[in-house]
Amino acid sequence: MKLLTGLVLSVSTLFALTNAELAQKSKKAMDGFEDSISYMQMTLINAAGQKKVRRMKMKVLEGKDSDKSLMEFLSPADVKGTKFLSYEHVNKDDDQWIYLPALHRVKRIASKNKSGAFMGSEFSYEDLGAFNPKKYKYEGSPSESSLNGKAVYVSPAIPVSKYSGYTKLISYVDKNTFLVQKIEYYDRKHELLKVGTFDAYKKISGVYRIQGITMKNVQNDKTTILKWSDETIKNGLSARDFNKRYLSR
Amino acid sequence: MKKLFFPLLMFTSLYGEVGVSGHVDLDSQFYLMHPEGKNKNSFTAKQTLELEYTHKDLTLFTSLYAQEAYYDFTKESEKTERTFARINELYAKYDFEEDAVKAGKSIEFWGALELRNITDGFNPRDFRNDMFANDKLGVYNVAYTHYFENSNLSLITKLQEEQQFMAAEPYVYYFFPSFVSYDGTLETQESKNRPSIYLKYSGSTDTEYPMDYAFIYENGYDSQRYFSTTTPQNLLVGSPTRGQPTRFVENAYIVNKFMTYDTLVVGSTLVKLEALYAKVDNNPVVGDYSHIGLGVEYTIENIYESHALGLLAEYYRYDTYESDKFSDLQLFETMQNDLFIGARYTFNNTEDSSFVGGAIFDLEYDEQSYYLKFESRVHGNFKLSCDYYYIVPSTKLLSFPTAYQFLGKHQKLGINIAYYF
Repeated sequence: MKLLTGLVLSVSTLFALTNAELAQKSKKAMDGFEDSISYMQMTLINAAGQKKVRRMKMKVLEGKDSDKSLMEFLSPADVKGTKFLSYEHVNKDDDQWIYLPALHRVKRIASKNKSGAFMGSEFSYEDLGAFNPKKYKYEGSPSESSLNGKAVYVSPAIPVSKYSGYTKLISYVDKNTFLVQKIEYYDRKHELLKVGTFDAYKKISGVYRIQGITMKNVQNDKTTILKWSDETIKNGLSARDFNKRYLSR
Repeated sequence: MKKLFFPLLMFTSLYGEVGVSGHVDLDSQFYLMHPEGKNKNSFTAKQTLELEYTHKDLTLFTSLYAQEAYYDFTKESEKTERTFARINELYAKYDFEEDAVKAGKSIEFWGALELRNITDGFNPRDFRNDMFANDKLGVYNVAYTHYFENSNLSLITKLQEEQQFMAAEPYVYYFFPSFVSYDGTLETQESKNRPSIYLKYSGSTDTEYPMDYAFIYENGYDSQRYFSTTTPQNLLVGSPTRGQPTRFVENAYIVNKFMTYDTLVVGSTLVKLEALYAKVDNNPVVGDYSHIGLGVEYTIENIYESHALGLLAEYYRYDTYESDKFSDLQLFETMQNDLFIGARYTFNNTEDSSFVGGAIFDLEYDEQSYYLKFESRVHGNFKLSCDYYYIVPSTKLLSFPTAYQFLGKHQKLGINIAYYF
């Protein structure tokens, strides 16, 4: 039996991992959190090094292919209480609404074009969505390299949506954990636009969760650092907690 | 020990989350064109304080507001009566699994369009601020809502009709002639506390082209009101008593009203509709009427760096169906056959800076309004807003003047600095 198992494993290693398989493994490495409640701090740094800080409270409900999320802005003070609700979809545009407390108004957002900057940061709406391999086209197998002393796969992906702000993403994925370490984003002119560095992962209740992403725009020299804190997962949230009723007061 | 333990337990079980926020505004307005005899400017300090207490499914919320107008502290002839304090909201809300109950004084928003929300009539407006500000008055009501998966059904009972006060004559936005006085008196068809009932069904479709929809039926006092006087002869041109002191009162009447507001998403375009039909309950001067607004909004992302440009177009139509009763003119309806073309330029920068502007063309009375607004966070908790309005009233000789003819050719420059906490 041991001999058979060893033989099967040896044969399987002969077949190179494809980029599509790597994407699935990356997704699987982060799956299983069910739901999450966390605080996010977004630090926006301009080319001169000046910093602006924004704080948000985030709730996410994990779906099979796509997530639901509800984000509440805690600062700056003039946007405190603003809420953003998003239902992601793979085969159609996301459903998105924003609640503006000063107007008591829930406003629908046209989400076809997700390349717009999120709250003046270097993150776009599509950067903040859940990673789903179905949103990308993959060809061939990843190359191997090292990043900060870690062995990584280097894997290109082409966004399926013509409304994406990118023509190509190159992901650097840890060979052992399949966790994404870095992504290079190429703009519509096929030029390098941004580099996202995934700063740290933490295992919470047995599931890897990202703790911070530094997004550097190499074209305008601006940087946004996004950090998560006080995250809890598997809180027992359901679709009911992401109903539009929780947008307004 | 027990004496200490139980009060502590009680306190802990009552403990919830308390939120405090608000802003202090300094609002300056300069009227570059204004009617003779009116103040050339206005300077107003405004304070808003919001307190929220949440504990599990219970929310208690209050919003308090006060403002002080500079001219109310100067000589008598310049006083505008724009200094006051009021409770905007004070309510309790309890969320059950599939239902919610809300009771108290609150402000709601009903609408989809950008320029004017014709279905947003739950709360009356306060006339003491400028005509461009959507300054709503809270109303006492009880609301029960049942939530379905993608929709909800609400039964709302408004318990009282609010008075709409107006600034005194030296204020540029006091519309009536100088011999007309109005002290906020409200006369109602039945008791002021006759409840207005609203049945509202709203939700979202999960279709290829998703849509947010809302349908409302109302039986109660209409959001449209009218002014009347016991001495109408004082208003008539050629009457020997023309120009004698005349007192206006505001009137609220009962309607059966059907309203809808909807937003359809087609790619990067939002298609919006607001419509209403009011069946007026036997009023001597106001007849049945309808109002419709249609709009589109298209947004171009990353038009320059991360800037976004939103293009807006809206058309409004108001019709009355009883020719022997008040028309849109006597009812001061400004959006009766109007086209709005506008744009929103969002910088998507760290200060959330944006420009919004547009032109409104009255296709019936040949009036135009132009406006441009700029908003930006300036330093941490400070926010700067500047706006410019230019109104060209109709030159037509009409049976009754338009609201803009009362105002005259008008230019306003506004600067608002607010500190948020």
